This record gives sequence, structure tokens and C-alpha cells, in this order.
Amino acid sequence: MKRLLAPLFALGILLSACSPTADNGTGPIKIGFIGPLTGDANTYGSDTYNGAQMKVDEINEAGGINGRLIEFIVEDARCTGTDAASAAQKLINIDKVVAINGGQCSGETLAVAPIAESAKVPIISGGSTSPDVTTAGDFVFRNIPSDALAAGATASYLQENGLTAIALITENTDFAIGFRNSLIENMGEDSVVFNELVEPGTKDFRTLLTRLQDAEFDAFIANGQSVAVEAAMAMQFRELGLDHPIFSNNAVVSASLSEIAGEAVEGLKVVMPPSEGADANKFDTFAAEFTALHGPAASSMTYAANSYDIMGLLAKAIAEVGTDGIAIRDYLYGLDGYDGTVGRFSFDQNGDVVGIALELQEVQDGVFVKVSDIAVE
Amino acid sequence: MDFFLHIIVLIGTFLPTILGYNLVFGKGKILHFGPMGVSVITGYCFIVTLKSTGSFSLAILSGLIAVTLISLLFAWLSLRLNQDAFGVMSIAVHLSALAVVLNWNSLTRGALGIPQIPRPEFLSSVADFAIAAIILSIVTVYIVRKIDKSSFGRQLQALAEHEWHAKSLGIDRNRVHVLAFIICGIGIFLSNLIYLPYLTLLHPNDYQFAGMVFYVMIVVAGMPGSVWGATLSTVLLLALREAVRFAPLSASVLGPVRLMLFGFILFVAVYYRRDTLFPKQRSI
Amino acid sequence: MMQLLINGLIAGSLAALIAGGLALVYGVLGVFNMALGQMALITGYCTWWFHQVLHLPLGISVICGLIVGGLVSWFVFEIFVNPFYKRHRFLPLVTTIALSMILDGLILLIFEEQPHAIIPGIKDTFQVMGAWVSSMQILLVLLTVLLMMIMGYVLHSTSFGRKIRAVVQHDQAAMSLGIKAPLLHRYIFIMSGVLAGLGGIYLGIDQSLTPVFAFPITIKAYAAIIAGGKGNIWGAILCAYLIAFLEQFAVGIHWFGLFYIPAGYQQAVALLFIIFFLLFRPNGLFAGRARTA
Repeated sequence: MKRLLAPLFALGILLSACSPTADNGTGPIKIGFIGPLTGDANTYGSDTYNGAQMKVDEINEAGGINGRLIEFIVEDARCTGTDAASAAQKLINIDKVVAINGGQCSGETLAVAPIAESAKVPIISGGSTSPDVTTAGDFVFRNIPSDALAAGATASYLQENGLTAIALITENTDFAIGFRNSLIENMGEDSVVFNELVEPGTKDFRTLLTRLQDAEFDAFIANGQSVAVEAAMAMQFRELGLDHPIFSNNAVVSASLSEIAGEAVEGLKVVMPPSEGADANKFDTFAAEFTALHGPAASSMTYAANSYDIMGLLAKAIAEVGTDGIAIRDYLYGLDGYDGTVGRFSFDQNGDVVGIALELQEVQDGVFVKVSDIAVE
Repeated sequence: MDFFLHIIVLIGTFLPTILGYNLVFGKGKILHFGPMGVSVITGYCFIVTLKSTGSFSLAILSGLIAVTLISLLFAWLSLRLNQDAFGVMSIAVHLSALAVVLNWNSLTRGALGIPQIPRPEFLSSVADFAIAAIILSIVTVYIVRKIDKSSFGRQLQALAEHEWHAKSLGIDRNRVHVLAFIICGIGIFLSNLIYLPYLTLLHPNDYQFAGMVFYVMIVVAGMPGSVWGATLSTVLLLALREAVRFAPLSASVLGPVRLMLFGFILFVAVYYRRDTLFPKQRSI
Repeated sequence: MMQLLINGLIAGSLAALIAGGLALVYGVLGVFNMALGQMALITGYCTWWFHQVLHLPLGISVICGLIVGGLVSWFVFEIFVNPFYKRHRFLPLVTTIALSMILDGLILLIFEEQPHAIIPGIKDTFQVMGAWVSSMQILLVLLTVLLMMIMGYVLHSTSFGRKIRAVVQHDQAAMSLGIKAPLLHRYIFIMSGVLAGLGGIYLGIDQSLTPVFAFPITIKAYAAIIAGGKGNIWGAILCAYLIAFLEQFAVGIHWFGLFYIPAGYQQAVALLFIIFFLLFRPNGLFAGRARTA
């Protein structure tokens, strides 16, 4: 029995050590983070965490927000709703954070939303693309464009270039599914000659791709949500002697992609933020700094950049309107535009991001380079 | 305060599942690794009906039917296959159930999950759920203790200790094991019934095998088969899982360290239970 | 069609490599090793580290990786299996689940989240009878066949093999005849770890290594072993191939000229097929006569 009780005492000591007081205008400003640091989606968690921590360090080195440092409290939610809810309860009710950067997975954000809503704590997600996030609540924001935007732009690019018959393999995760659905919507059912959904994490596509050898199509859309899956798709596609152009989504824009897939992803095209309107070099500067600190992004540099911008935006909001949740929410809705690394953006009445421009990028000699700007309707 | 209530809700909604599972795995010594599979099917039947009809009573009915059917399937598999095969195959059934949920997009919304699950009128705040969870757990512990003390409990234990001897005493393995699986299933359903409206979200990511490992850990740590042991270890391990969040570790290390810590706890638990976890094997 | 067969052969060889050694462990010790996938990954990761970070030649990296894999298996056996499996053969099942969590954490801490490839880029492919293959894939298939031939020879034509088979049939009877079963158990466990490690290295060369890949490896290997029948090593290897072929055919064949099975069900179809067959032959597809005490 003694053995079993020991952890209980430890718990008591831990809980009494943290003092639950509301923000009193002095001391560090607490901002929370929720993301998948372990589990199947850990790549997004590490990228978004590293991006956010970079901004926090920059702000704190520059003296903090109005002289107050940021205390950045990080919680692991393993991409599950259960853990995200626990993390949110802890951040909001124990730590009394002012705002939360997260969740990253849509499942996390959707579980956190009702809790944040009732506690009036604004949350901004840099990775949740599910359409459900739009209506998740008044205090829920995201600075990642919904899938529809990039997929729509990809579709119009394909059509303009006469690539009207596409073959599509999609990893069965929320982002990739959303991308697939809007792509099909924009291209029309008839132009999708091959449309398969594979289990998350699949790395053997040879048989599926074999079926492509007999199919007539113009372009291959490798719609994975993780670099490893994307790389496997592209490599096996090329190894089967297929030489069609490959397109992808912006979830896999990482230096690791060409590190693994090498020449297989040469010429791979992606429509992604940021673009004109923003300082074109800002993203590159950020990417270079990030890589110097943490190596190439494990999933996509876009996620890291989004998370970095969220911290910058929150700091700016707190500096201007203080630490009240409702004031921050109103500030975010009324935001004229924030110049982030991914472009100048603001939020619409649902808390979805607007103003992020897109550009077409292509892998050349192992790096993603801008080919052209893409008009967003 | 809400955080503590939240932990109470977690514990209260975990208990029915754990106590049911403890009956099958802890007391019955059946290598059943499928409760997560039962849970995902029940959860989806319950919520899909709820979302499409808006009626809680219909949803509960469909959840109960689903849980009975899937429990019967597992029971049938366990009676048909030997221990080892059932252990592996129950995992396979769980993975297959997840695959169906992920791929049947028109019904389950696949990887997007089902958000904004309505809550019943009398359950709106965390405190309401905490009270419901406490009532639920007291009732479950009481009922499961009754079951445990009944002749059914003894029959289950007898079958676990020596199947041939038990059978020769007239214990009907089919009846006892089917009943055990169904009780376990109902426990899982009760957990889902409270927990899903509390979370307001049903997402396939919540039903990965990692969650199953946590069930096994709780049962093993709490002296397999003992109702109080399972209850106590549910409380302690869930509290510990949340308490680890307060550990002063850098975020990039915390996740993996938590994983390793729980792995270590499981190992230590097995080490202490090495004589009682499974009945001693008899040799000639 | 030819390509389909080749694909099945490649996937099957990988599965057979992992399942073969494991079947021996399961047959002889009767224990489950749920951390097998993690052990395979660790070997793969170490090989990657030797090759890509220390820039050792591939061959030496592979050997070093396998040595590490062997040491890890030995360590695992001494800590997580040996103290337990004599008490009850299901105890290691739970301890190795604990081990898999610890190893998962370690992999995340040491090698981090991003995927790693031991040999990045496209492998040179060429056509054989209308099917595209790479030299690495041919090497894998040949290596598996070679290893299986060696295993067959050792099992059936040497005294060591006869000892193993004796222990499989009845370990207490074998021990009373003077066979050192515990020592044999150790060798076999380490060997299965090394074979799984070989699988991990192959994955790292052919595709890439990610921390989340371990569980499917383990569960498919066990499905093959269970389906093959207890103690039946060749049955397990055959079933590993069978599962791989099923997975490829499920999504690669235009069934009845009407439909393809959606690729999302690829793994589920193979696993359910095995379950279905087990319901008719509960002792495995290739079970021999059951022996009881």
C-alpha cells in the first residue's frame, strides 16, 4: 500500500507548488502551447514547438512584452482529443494562461475549443485545417489557410497548364483528406482518373502505382501528410519508370524531403504560402535560422513559421490591449493585418485567416524555390 | 478547480471500462486486447445515431446493440481460438475496426472526426460531469463488486486457474466467458456514454493502440482481478499521467520522457506482480 | 500482373525475414516480443547513424548496426524476458509492451522525429519480365531465400538444429536429455533480434525510418506466426508471404472486373482473412499434430 500511495504524495506536493492566481499585471505573461510532442504526429509538434519557442526567445531577449517576460508553458497532447482536453484544462485553470498557441492537429483544436470558449481564453492554431474549426467557437482562430485555398489554387494551376487528368493518392489524415476533397471539387469528378486513400504511415505504394502504369493521366498528386510517406510515394513512382509531373500539398515542404527522396522529388511542385505582399525574404530568413537551430523541419517549414507568427501576433496583441481574453479576442477580430513570416494576414468573422497569398514552389537541386506567384480568388 | 474536476471526470469515465476489462483480463486471464476496438465501434454507433436522429434514447439503444454484438464477436473468437491466437487477433480486430472508421467517410467523417457532440440538458458544466462521473463510478464499483463476489466471479476465476478442472466441476465456459465479455462491453459503453458528450469530440486518434496499453497497465498495476486494486490504480495512474505535466522538464524532452516513465512503471508493475499476474503454469 | 507478384515477393521477403526469427522464439520459448518492431527500428537507426553521420562504408555500417541490434536483443532478453518467461510465458508479453514504450521514447530522444534514409534517393531500377525492380530488392529476396536455406540446413541437418527442434516439441523432456535449453533460448532470442534488425535496415534503405513504424511490423509478424501454427517455423514464413501477397492483391487486382478494394483497407483485409481462416482451423493453417503433455 505504501508503494501505491507514494505517487499520490508526489502529486500533492507538485500541485501545491503551483499557485493558481489570475494575471495580476506583474511577473511573466503566461502563454500556453498544445501540440503533439509524442505519438504518430510528433513531427508537427516538434516543428510548431520549435518555431514558437524561437519567437518567445526573441521577445524575451528583447526585454519581453512591455517589460514583462513571456513564460511559455508547453503541453503534449499526442494528437488526441483526450490529451488535448487535459492539457487545456491544466493550462487554463492551473497555469491561468492568457492565450494558447494550439492545438496543432485538428482533433486537438476541436477538443480544446469548448474549454477555451467557456474560459474565454483565445486560442490560435497554426496547423488545424479541418473545416470544422471554422465553426468551433468565438475564441478559436487559425493562421493556416483552410485546405480549400491551396487546393483551389493547385486545381486552377493544373487546368491552366492543360493537366486535366490527375491521379491522386491521399494519406488518410485530416489535412490530406481536406486537400483531396477541395481539389476534386475544383477539378471536377471527371478529371480525377485515379483516387485512392491509404492508411496513415503507409510506405509501400508499389502495387497502387503499378495500376497507374496502365492509366492515362497528366499529373500525379502525391497527397501525403508526412515527409516519409511523401518521399516513399515519389520514389516508388519514379522507380516504376513513370515520368509524369508530381504535385503535392504544403504539409511536406521540408528539407528532409529531398534528403530522403533525392532526385525523385526534383521538379515536385507545391502551392504554398507565403508570397507577395509580405517581405519575400522574411520566410527564407526564418527558415534559415530555424534550420541552423533545429535542422530541417521534420514535417513542413510552413507549420513552424505559422507557429512563430502566432507567438509574434499574441505578443503584439498583449502589448496593445493587455492580458484580458476578451480584449485579445476583439483585437484579433479587428486586426488590420499582421506582417508575419508567411505574409500579411488578418482574420475573418469566423477566426479563419485571410490575406495569406500563395506561390508556386518547385524542388530544384534539392531545395524548394519559388516559381511564380499564384492568384488567390 | 476545473482541472481537478476534469481529472475526476477522467477517472470516473475510465472506471467502468477498467473494471469491465479487469474482469476479463485480470480475473478471467483472457488475453483480450480488444477493448479499444469495442470502444471505437460503440462510440461511433452511439454518436452517429445521436447526430443523425438527435435522440439520446435511440443513440443509447444503438450503442448498446453495437456493444453487445461486438462483445459477442470477441467472445466467439476467444472461444474458438487458443489464448495466443486470440491475443493477437483481438489486436487485429481493433486495427480493422479503426480502418473501417477511417475509411467509411460518408458515415464517420473518417480522419476528420465528429466534433460538436451535443450534451444532454442536465449535463453542461465540468462540475455536472464530475458529479455524474462520481455517481457512475460508485455504482459501477458496487455492481462489479457484487458480480465479483457472486458465483459467476468464482466460476470465472476457476476457469482461469484450471480450465479442465473447472469444466469437470460443471462450469460452462461458454456461458461464463460470453457473460464476462458482455459485462466488459457494457462498462466500455458506459464510459463512452459520459465521456464523449463531455469531450464533445469523437476522433479516431483517441482510439489508437497506445490507449489500450494504458488499460493493460492499470489492470496489471492494480493486482489483476481485484476490484479495489483496479479502482485504486485507475485513480493513481490517471492522476500521475496528468501530474507529469507539472514536471520541470523542457518540452522537447518531456513527451519522450513521459513515454519512458510509463513504460518503466508498467515494467515495475509486472515485476511486482510476476507471480500473480498469470496463474502459475503447471508442468509435469 | 508480373509486377504484382514481384511486389508481393518483396514485401513478403521482408515480412518473412522478421517473422522467421520470431517464429523460432515463439516456438521455442513460447513468448511474445511486442517490442520487436522497435528493436528492428533501433538497428536501422544505428545503421543510418554509422553510414550517414560517421560516413562509414555501407557494408561496415550494416555489420555495426547488426552488432548493436544483437547487443540490444541480448540486453532485452536478460532484463525483460529471462526473469519472467519461466514463471509464465505471457509475462514477457506485458514486459515487452513496457519495453516498446521505453524504446519509443529513446528513439524520439536520440534520433528525433524527422525521417531518415540510409541510402537516400531513387534506387536504379530495371525491368525484369515487364516488372520494375531495383538491385536492392533482388538482394533482399535472394538474402531471405539464402537465410531460409541456412536456417533449414541448421534446423534439419545439424545437432544444434535437432536440439532446437527437440526443445520446440517438449522443452522439459529435452532438458532431461541434457540439452541446455536456457542457453539455446538466449541464442535464439538474439538471432531473432538480429533478423528483425536486418528487416529494419532494409526498410531504412528501401524507404525511410520513422519512429512510428514499429507497431505494424510487430503485429503483422505475429499474425503470420499465429496463422502458421504454433511451433511451425515454415508455416509462419509461408503465412508471412501469404499476408504480403494478400495485401498486394487486395488493392492491385480488379476484382471480378468490377471494383478495387479501397487501399485504406489493405492491411485490414489481410488481417481479417487470417482471422477468418483461423476460425475454421483454430490451430493455424499449417498446424501439425498438436502435442500435449
